[in-house]
Amino acid sequence: MITTPVKLWRRQKEVARHLGREGKIISWTIIRVPPKAFLNETPYPVVIVKMENGEKMIGQLVDWQDEDLAVGRKVVAVLRRLFSGDSESIIAYYIKFRPI
Amino acid sequence: MIHILGVATTEFGELWKKSPRALAKQAAEGALEDAGLKISDIDALFVGNMLAGILGNQANLGSLFAEELGLSVPAIRVEGACASGGLALHSGVNGILSGQYKTVLALGVEKMTDSGQDEVTTGLMAAGSDSERMAGATFPGIYALMAQAYLEEFGISEETLAGVSVKNHYHGSLNDKAQFRRVVTVEDVMSSGRIADPLKLLDCSPISDGASAVVISSENLRKRKPVYVSASEVATDTLALHDRKSFTSLSSVVRASKNAYKKAGISPSDVDVSEIHDCFSIAEAIAVEDLGFSKRGEGAKDIATGKMTLGKGKVITNPSGGLKACGHPVGATGIKQIVEITQQLRGEAGGRQVKRAKIGLTHNVGGSGAVAVIHILKN
Repeated sequence: MITTPVKLWRRQKEVARHLGREGKIISWTIIRVPPKAFLNETPYPVVIVKMENGEKMIGQLVDWQDEDLAVGRKVVAVLRRLFSGDSESIIAYYIKFRPI
Repeated sequence: MIHILGVATTEFGELWKKSPRALAKQAAEGALEDAGLKISDIDALFVGNMLAGILGNQANLGSLFAEELGLSVPAIRVEGACASGGLALHSGVNGILSGQYKTVLALGVEKMTDSGQDEVTTGLMAAGSDSERMAGATFPGIYALMAQAYLEEFGISEETLAGVSVKNHYHGSLNDKAQFRRVVTVEDVMSSGRIADPLKLLDCSPISDGASAVVISSENLRKRKPVYVSASEVATDTLALHDRKSFTSLSSVVRASKNAYKKAGISPSDVDVSEIHDCFSIAEAIAVEDLGFSKRGEGAKDIATGKMTLGKGKVITNPSGGLKACGHPVGATGIKQIVEITQQLRGEAGGRQVKRAKIGLTHNVGGSGAVAVIHILKN
């Protein structure tokens, strides 16, 4: 994944807009064969969430148990480290979802 | 009138001994030989490819393959993710209809197995949106999100969905160009490793190398009865799945196929044989509904009960084995579909021949439905 400092800086406004917002899972999967950047996180759930304002978002589910992987499960948008790259790379943060 | 004069495809699979140049040359020379034409008869080359820039650091593909084929005519690379091949043919058709060219070579080529699985998975995500990449989604993952929604909405089991792969492997077992020429059972699919729940390894098309080529012309330069392109239609949609209203229907496919049926003056029930973009089992289940072959929610069931299987069904889907069993060199797939349907309409498909096939359709999709290319062929 390409995460240049400028690209991450541009995304900050978007991140701030979503933080703390709540929504419901409308579809989910567990990624077991990941892209290169996420090799250390595998397996991880990816969910599509319908936010309270009707907007739909895709993101990873964190702090989850098996029973959280269900349509209708309530989640909140939180700020998390995107992935654990090597020690030389930029540490990128982005929106993920946590069950509530 | 667009005439298909010659078609050819290489074997699909892990072709480590063959370079992209060698694959392209083999397919192009095969199509010219089939057409009874010389390379000097070609007025323009359209190349469908997705990954050469990402995996091979190679751009400028129009010139590269023109050079390889000994051409110095206009040569243009066309990209639309896994629909690059279909878009290359669409561009060639438009080039002829405009009056600019008389005879065009459409070539689809992809070399994927030189790279590792994580590199290919990352490379293919170039077809998705930034938001999907940030989520760590993969293409199996995005189609899994569609599958989860489909199974839930229509009360379908994973076993029923597995019927798509069972059918396509059976068809692939009859195709000497296919990457996998063995049959699989529902149990094999169910017990294969999970890739992105609910999709398992045998729900997914493989990583493949291959090239396919088609020669089309405004004139019937071929002595034999040609096959005609009756419609070549494209529609687009949002890059990301979550930005769409429905996860269980691809609006791009619905719109492109409606336009194609109208142009060709046919209805879905007139189609005898079709090549479907089954990058994942769920993709074919949804496609047969979007194309009007099945009622909404019944695609997976219709396939599992044999309604689209050779020798049993009324409309046969993926006689080549589809992307699942024949293989999926992404830029070549859309052209390979045209090769298969042309051979079917000529009655040259051997053991996998659909009897009395007169009208064929190809369904080529890029991304998770961001672009759909539909071609209708008649003999």
